[in-house]
Amino acid sequence: MPRSHFCRSADHALNRRAFLGGLAAAGATLAADMTQLNALASPGVNAALKKTQKRVILLWLAGGASQLETWDPKPGAVTGGPFRSIQTDVPGLRISELMPEMAKRMKTTCVIRGLDTKNGDHGSGAKVMMRGRRDEAGLRYPDLGAVLAREMGRPDSTVPDYVTFYTQTEGRSFAPGDAGFLGARYAPMELTTGSSPEYIKKLADMTDADHEERAALRDLVGKGFAAGRSSETLSSQSEAYGRVRGLMASAKLFDASGEPAAVKARYGPTQFGEQCLIARRLVEAGVPFVRVARAWWDSHGQNFETHQEMVPELDRVMSALIDDLGERGLSNDVMVVTLAEFGRTPSINASLGRDHFASAWSCTLTGCGVKGGSVYGKTDEKGQKVVAENVDAGSLFATIYSALGINPEKNYHVGSRPIPLVNPGVEAVKAVLK
Amino acid sequence: MPVPTPDTLKPSKDFARQVIAFAVARRPGTGTVYLGGSDFKVCSADVTAAKFEPTELHAHESYVTGVALAGDRLVSGGYDGKLAWYDTEAGKVVRTVEAHAKWIRKVVASPDGTLVASVADDMVCKLWDAATGKLVRELKGHKATTPHDFPSMLYAVAFSPDGKHLATADKVGHVVVWDAATGKELAAVEAPVMYTWDKVQRNHSIGGARSVAFSPDGRLLAVGGMGKVGNIDHLEGKARIEVFDWAAGKQVAEFPGDKFAGLVNRLAWAADGSWLLGAGGAGEGFFLFHDVAAKKTLRQEKVPMHVHDFDLTADGRELVAVGHNRVTVHTLG
Repeated sequence: MPRSHFCRSADHALNRRAFLGGLAAAGATLAADMTQLNALASPGVNAALKKTQKRVILLWLAGGASQLETWDPKPGAVTGGPFRSIQTDVPGLRISELMPEMAKRMKTTCVIRGLDTKNGDHGSGAKVMMRGRRDEAGLRYPDLGAVLAREMGRPDSTVPDYVTFYTQTEGRSFAPGDAGFLGARYAPMELTTGSSPEYIKKLADMTDADHEERAALRDLVGKGFAAGRSSETLSSQSEAYGRVRGLMASAKLFDASGEPAAVKARYGPTQFGEQCLIARRLVEAGVPFVRVARAWWDSHGQNFETHQEMVPELDRVMSALIDDLGERGLSNDVMVVTLAEFGRTPSINASLGRDHFASAWSCTLTGCGVKGGSVYGKTDEKGQKVVAENVDAGSLFATIYSALGINPEKNYHVGSRPIPLVNPGVEAVKAVLK
Repeated sequence: MPVPTPDTLKPSKDFARQVIAFAVARRPGTGTVYLGGSDFKVCSADVTAAKFEPTELHAHESYVTGVALAGDRLVSGGYDGKLAWYDTEAGKVVRTVEAHAKWIRKVVASPDGTLVASVADDMVCKLWDAATGKLVRELKGHKATTPHDFPSMLYAVAFSPDGKHLATADKVGHVVVWDAATGKELAAVEAPVMYTWDKVQRNHSIGGARSVAFSPDGRLLAVGGMGKVGNIDHLEGKARIEVFDWAAGKQVAEFPGDKFAGLVNRLAWAADGSWLLGAGGAGEGFFLFHDVAAKKTLRQEKVPMHVHDFDLTADGRELVAVGHNRVTVHTLG
């Protein structure tokens, strides 16, 4: 179905579906004045519209970062490793000494220490943690980015709905962005060779005017052909061209060179830092979901040195991102998630490494409807199992959806079969939701 | 008495314990060894006893990675950045110093026992008066970050047999020889093959120059580590040793390894220079004996643990190795 819009201005970019949903929720108090579209978007009035403002940046710690060297340290335990824990700005909450910057910002962030996701295999574990559940035979579920692209994306948007950075090669094929049964419309723009897309720049010998004139000519011819005809194919082609023009126009978003030097310095000199800064630019421009994959944490050998090298970078970049979003007034609209396919074993192997471990590990949620400073889940003194507040992949996803204002029980349909966003019976962790 | 040959190496004792031992020092002429390990403790034990029963002397606040004996003073260092002086006669810690801002990787005593050197990831080598604990000198020259903007690490330090020189080695394979009396940098050699930076697949690094040892005449400097690694998730590079004429800045021998994978964590020369011993490991461990002059490998022996450190007696006849959950004793001759 072609989508119609009440208003084509960027400020009032509301689609009909969202508008009607909002109208129903707003009820009679607003029904009298259909022209006051701004009122529909006011806080607390209309969740269905408010959710369209939410966005997510997923920091994908590919290969599996160690919970013991980040969010759930066990100093002094035989499994604890050499790092100390440090007190954070949340009374009673201690994290690894490798994260001094985040330690000052834990009031912004919820730590889930009770992840028990059962799957310690890179490939299938990554799929589970990107989709919130295992695929069924003949049914491939959409991943988090695709669902949010569908739920949060605006049909008239001039920016992509789902962008994923995964520059390193290791593990990239384990969890590519995947729209599953939602189809290619919600598939990600995947950046694998650097921080900006390779093929969306217009040809160097084509001027802006030439490009616009060609587009106008194509529209003119297309409209002439479409006059009097009714065809989904024609509409789809028109929409596709429109999106391509939007994507080409968004090329500048991927270029952070114009950011103030102080902002760039905060994120640091690494590629991960640069891509997180670009992610901030993207969500600020309205991209609903950006994944920045930081590979590769699979520290079977020299776990502590690997984390000594990589965690300070995560600490710096994540804290810079949280500060940056906060200073731009986006803390309540953009959720930052750290997640991986699994964590790492408490036991230390002969190579001073830690191996794959999905029975008791951690992730974080920052911003939107999540309680900053909260901790959910408790592991035993050696970090070998969850002893309270167990969270599986489905519950985590239900929590993320709920925090974003999306009903996890909402159904999509594959043919006539209703498919809820999370499996039946799976519930959000309400304790961490505002 | 002639130095025994590597072909006479025999296992003598093998003690299992649930601690990763990172450092060992032996009181000359006795069976007493001092151990530092993953239990944060400094222990003593008698390797000549039938039963291996370590006794805790004191504890750090993180892994203990260096122990050095200077007379009656046992100086230990750890990832807590502290150095502790333990009086082995009085049986108590007499001094604790906040020595380094980052992990201490190694602690060694000078041959005459007057100085102690420590290296740490703050990339500084510090010389301490072994008796008073006073800081004598700081040796600065290793870069704080790798060429890829990540923190570097300063792994190894060794005195020359005459005590006049020190060598230090870092993550990227940069090795510096210092004048111990003045702190002046005398020479530098490079072993870049020991550092693997993986930009394409994994975007981090592994390896480093992990051990150094001067030859008995002080002219040659052996450097131990691991060769280039394909999959840096694992310590799968070949155990690698390079030997330099450090004054000339020239590599004179290279042992790239052909049997064992892993890091060469410790090096020592036979007293007559006839062989060089390297030990280390990954999932399992090894002893490597090389004839440097002949550029020939004499013996490669599997050890039932990743070896982090060893003590070789001055006569080359007994070898106490420590590592992942074990302590072993080997004899030569």
